[in-house]
Amino acid sequence: MSNPRRWSRPLLFLLLCPLACTPLSGPAPDHLAEIKARGVLTWGADAEGGAPYVYPDPQKPERLIGFECDLAGALAEKLGVKAKMVQNQWDQLVPGLDRGNFDIILNGLEITADNQQHIAMSLPYFVYAQQIVVRADTQGLAQQENLKGKPVGVLSSSVAQGLLEKMGGVDLRIYPGNVESLRDLKAGRIEAVLMDLPIALHYAKPDPGLRFSGPSFAPGYYGIGVRQQDASLLAALNQAITELDQDHTLERIYRKYGVWDERQEGLKDYQPEAVTRKKSISTLREWPKYLPLLLRGAVTTVELSVLAMALAVVAGLVIVLLRLYGPGPVRWLAQVYVEVIRGTPLLIQLFLIYYGLPELGIRLNPFLAGILGLGLNYAASESENYRAGIQSIPHGQTEAAFALGMGRWQTLRHVVLPQALRVVIPPVTNDFIAMFKDSSIVSVITMVELTKVYGMLATSTYDYIGLGLMTAAIYFALSYPASIFANWLERKLRYDRR
Amino acid sequence: MIAVEKLVKSYYSTTVLHGVDHAQQRGEAVVLIGPSGCGKSTFLRCLNQLEIADSGRITIGEVTIEGGHSPRSSGEREQQRQLRLRAGMVFQSFNLFPHRTVLQNITQGPIVVKNVPPGQAEELARNLLAKVGLEHKAEFYPAQLSGGQQQRVAIARALAMEPQVMLFDEPTSALDPELRDEVLRVMRRLAEEGMTMIVVTHEMHFAREMADRVLFFDGGLVAESGTPEQIFEHPQHERTREFVRNVTR
Repeated sequence: MSNPRRWSRPLLFLLLCPLACTPLSGPAPDHLAEIKARGVLTWGADAEGGAPYVYPDPQKPERLIGFECDLAGALAEKLGVKAKMVQNQWDQLVPGLDRGNFDIILNGLEITADNQQHIAMSLPYFVYAQQIVVRADTQGLAQQENLKGKPVGVLSSSVAQGLLEKMGGVDLRIYPGNVESLRDLKAGRIEAVLMDLPIALHYAKPDPGLRFSGPSFAPGYYGIGVRQQDASLLAALNQAITELDQDHTLERIYRKYGVWDERQEGLKDYQPEAVTRKKSISTLREWPKYLPLLLRGAVTTVELSVLAMALAVVAGLVIVLLRLYGPGPVRWLAQVYVEVIRGTPLLIQLFLIYYGLPELGIRLNPFLAGILGLGLNYAASESENYRAGIQSIPHGQTEAAFALGMGRWQTLRHVVLPQALRVVIPPVTNDFIAMFKDSSIVSVITMVELTKVYGMLATSTYDYIGLGLMTAAIYFALSYPASIFANWLERKLRYDRR
Repeated sequence: MIAVEKLVKSYYSTTVLHGVDHAQQRGEAVVLIGPSGCGKSTFLRCLNQLEIADSGRITIGEVTIEGGHSPRSSGEREQQRQLRLRAGMVFQSFNLFPHRTVLQNITQGPIVVKNVPPGQAEELARNLLAKVGLEHKAEFYPAQLSGGQQQRVAIARALAMEPQVMLFDEPTSALDPELRDEVLRVMRRLAEEGMTMIVVTHEMHFAREMADRVLFFDGGLVAESGTPEQIFEHPQHERTREFVRNVTR
């Protein structure tokens, strides 16, 4: 965090104070001494779907294994300390290092100019390449160019994503982890996955339903990420890597996990390229370039929220009517539905709909799955809102309608529901506004909506604040009219004015 | 016009009606009096099926319903509806529909239940509003009216269904004294026009002047019945005497 560019603005400075304390104390001290004093080297990595890099031992899930796990141990030993892994979502590793959540990144981080804009990278410890994976029965698609026009899955912020974005013309689907993309490949939602070879070796190779398509290509290097000011830590790590390579410790580790290939011989031939630091980006100053991208994400957010809310409003009504007036068993089922949906996380429900239903032969695209997941989840709370509204209508109203000879349904339709409507407008509006924000969760099933666009732009520009302010402003611009509309509607439905 | 035989109703272990018998001629105005908790309101609510009697038989006009259970078949539900259509109900707390205007409160029943064309229902409603003296309040909402005015609208609403019998359940109890007269005037006029009515009330003046017959309810039974003069001047039973003495003092 040595870059002083953004601190010039007092407002942003104040905003950032609670986020990062390190830059406030002048030039940060070298961390190597601190690590040695503490006796522990913390390394950031993502163990979720992280094989063969770092992942829970299938035999003993509380223990982590993987070639990077062994490597971290070997490196720490060279420094005379112990290694401790810190879990961090993969595409947020660089910001995590920036914030001081851990000392180094050791998790298949590619040595690229982009990655070296904000952090320093060590000598390489592994040579990787890109591998196209397809279903066993797919023909062709052996080369990167063949992927044009096809739906292709990649890991968020990976080199594969960068390669395909640069080539263009690919229907790119961005996944938060490696397992999900292969799952969707097998489910037929996408035609290919482009991924780092070690991942493909571990997850795709043993799967009879999948095959490698063509030779691996675009080799590159994995390096360890350290903060730019940690020069002596970097030097110590570089020396350790060189020693581990020379004494064949690396080869031993890589063979153990089945990721050794002749490409690793090239480690010693590595020539660091000079990295030209790009000028730092202020997305606020360059808003005409970034705002349209965010707005395109906002369109998806609005489509999702509006359709999901429409589903929730209608399904919620059906549920509450069944619950209050249906025959015995149906009542019970409606109640169970509400309790189960309310009592389980939306994320799990989305995963079940998106990844679970295909196993029953129901294959929804991400957009439909998102609407269904959000809509059915919110239907439960809407039905509870309605129930509160319906039960707030005095019993005398129902009696008066009955006395006029109205049946149950006529009473509901003409007397109870119209009065309940006004009561439920505030809580339903509240949920609608919450839906705008909750809809960001569908990024886990590859939907690119506003928050996801923000995340992707932020990890490439590192301007979390400028983009964050713009994104927050868009969300606010979406929700505020909804609340104005609700107030207007509520006033319009007032019948107790004198 | 009305025949009730051996009507029994209990809530859990408390029996409220102990086999009430009652017969009433067309055009007869009957007033129910009695101490609170004696079952007179329950009796009225059983008549138009807001309460389901445990046993007994209720006949209004040509429709008869046996007590015992809520309607289970569509035939039974239709029978219940037919009985309700013959009995208009006015509640102590008015129970107007707050989200509808005065006019809509009155037209709603005919339009929804009897499929009367809206234009015709509105004409009927305006006539009824004129009858209760509120034709100028047609477009108001209930909350904009006084209690007395609301109760008059409620009477017009019940009349719009063209019932054969009007049931009044303490129609003036929720009203300030100065608002009661306007409601009682409307009821008096109905009685004079020959409407068959059953009125549960504490308004002894009204009972004396308007009732063709007064029933004194006590302990879930009709303890004594007779003309107002008989009940108020020459009560036969000790309990009636005591009650009349208390309320007319």
